[in-house]
Amino acid sequence: MAHVEHRESVPVLTFPRQTIVSLLVFAACWEGMSHLAPLLGIPPFAIPSLLRISKSILTITPIDIVVTLARVIAALIASFIFGLVLAMAMYRSETLDQYLHPMIRILMAVPVVSWILFAVLWFPGVEFRIGFVLVVVCGPVFLVDTLDAMRNVPRELRHMMQSFRPTTVQFFLKLMLPAIVPTIFTSWKVNISLAIRVVTIAELVGAVTGIGHQLSVAQELFSVADVFAWTIVLVALLFLLEALVARVEHRLLRWRS
Amino acid sequence: MSIPPTIEVRGLRKVFRQATTGQSVVAIDRLDLTIQPKEVIAIVGQTGCGKSTFFDMMIGLEAPTEGSIHIGDKSPYSDFDYFRGKMATVFQQDRLLPWRSALDNAKLPLELMGRPEDEQRERALMWLNKLGLGQFTNAYPHELSGGMRQRVAIARAFAVQPDILLADEAFGHLDEVTAAELRDTFLQLARECGSTAILITHQLEEAIAVGDRIAVFGKSAKLLADIHVNLWPKERYGELREAIQATLQSQKADPRLMQPA
Repeated sequence: MAHVEHRESVPVLTFPRQTIVSLLVFAACWEGMSHLAPLLGIPPFAIPSLLRISKSILTITPIDIVVTLARVIAALIASFIFGLVLAMAMYRSETLDQYLHPMIRILMAVPVVSWILFAVLWFPGVEFRIGFVLVVVCGPVFLVDTLDAMRNVPRELRHMMQSFRPTTVQFFLKLMLPAIVPTIFTSWKVNISLAIRVVTIAELVGAVTGIGHQLSVAQELFSVADVFAWTIVLVALLFLLEALVARVEHRLLRWRS
Repeated sequence: MSIPPTIEVRGLRKVFRQATTGQSVVAIDRLDLTIQPKEVIAIVGQTGCGKSTFFDMMIGLEAPTEGSIHIGDKSPYSDFDYFRGKMATVFQQDRLLPWRSALDNAKLPLELMGRPEDEQRERALMWLNKLGLGQFTNAYPHELSGGMRQRVAIARAFAVQPDILLADEAFGHLDEVTAAELRDTFLQLARECGSTAILITHQLEEAIAVGDRIAVFGKSAKLLADIHVNLWPKERYGELREAIQATLQSQKADPRLMQPA
């Protein structure tokens, strides 16, 4: 082997034929249902036509998308830092792990709705409430995933690294962090989906901006078309963020290809 | 090149408590051993005789229950940081970091020592070249054969030009030809570097081929025999092998080991 080839293929957001066909079938069924609805005694607003939904999409306010996106990204970054730092501390100290582990389990068992109610009762600021709910829901997921990944770093590699006498910081930077990168990306993907769902619910309660708030307005106006349009935006946002993470993941983990 | 210090093992004892049964297991029972500077010593013994525990204690990852290991006037356990860059290890499996190229793996100990980037690169490249891996510096471990990966691991150990080299069954998992070739390279480089080398092995041929001395460990690392290989003429190596084997089986020093000449 005179030289080693590195083949690199960047993942792109692709739409295979099957995906397009299934989406078209769904759209056709929906359109058909919207025409049949009045004949079946269903009010016309319940299943709006695709044209009506398209009109709703055109009225979407980008600022609400930006606000929700900013809330999700800021909260995910804060949750990640919180999870990573605490996981490193718990990995280093068995005592800390023994004390914190039950609390983390309890935090993870609390339903999202309860957190939202606590946030409304405890904090006056809307942004803080939403941030709190997102961090308290996503942070423990990052923590548990990261801690598990650290514990799964092969003993042989830890042993080898220690034999070269690294400092604690070097041990984490040169071994533990690179070793857990694949798990960190998986955790990000799970948390993006979780955060998009949680932020929507949190914005439904009390927020005056964001996609959740717009969904609440659409519900008050009995506008299924608007609800549908905002839902499409949410799903697109989720796919976009996941594609972004997948791209970074591919770049950082190209040694695996 | 500084002269590596003498290694003095005195009354070394290591007792482990089994987590499941709570019983104590004596892994090493009052071992005394002196290793001279630049000596190449092979430690042989059956599985479970305490060789690997001794290895872990030599590199300072396990504390003695009783007794001491002193390298010069320092202890590898108590003065752990002192030995950064002075001691290097080669393990049975290569233990390369899969996300690092051969070059980045080879320069890892130099990074940990905080050497300038240029020096890290230069020294790692030099050792990779010496080990015949000049063309594979950018290859990731999974792109290399088992023998090549072990060469990278050896380059990583030599990159810091350590005073003391420890190898734990470093060639045992390779095919005979590759193992013999790597063993010779390892020995030659260790002599070039002027390092003291401690090789843990269960292969008697390997111990006889590389060691200036062979320490034969019985149960709980009891030193059954301390053999100076150079006192044995090459044509009697077969007999030496048989005598070591008999010693390991009976757990008593074979009489032939007493008067080799």
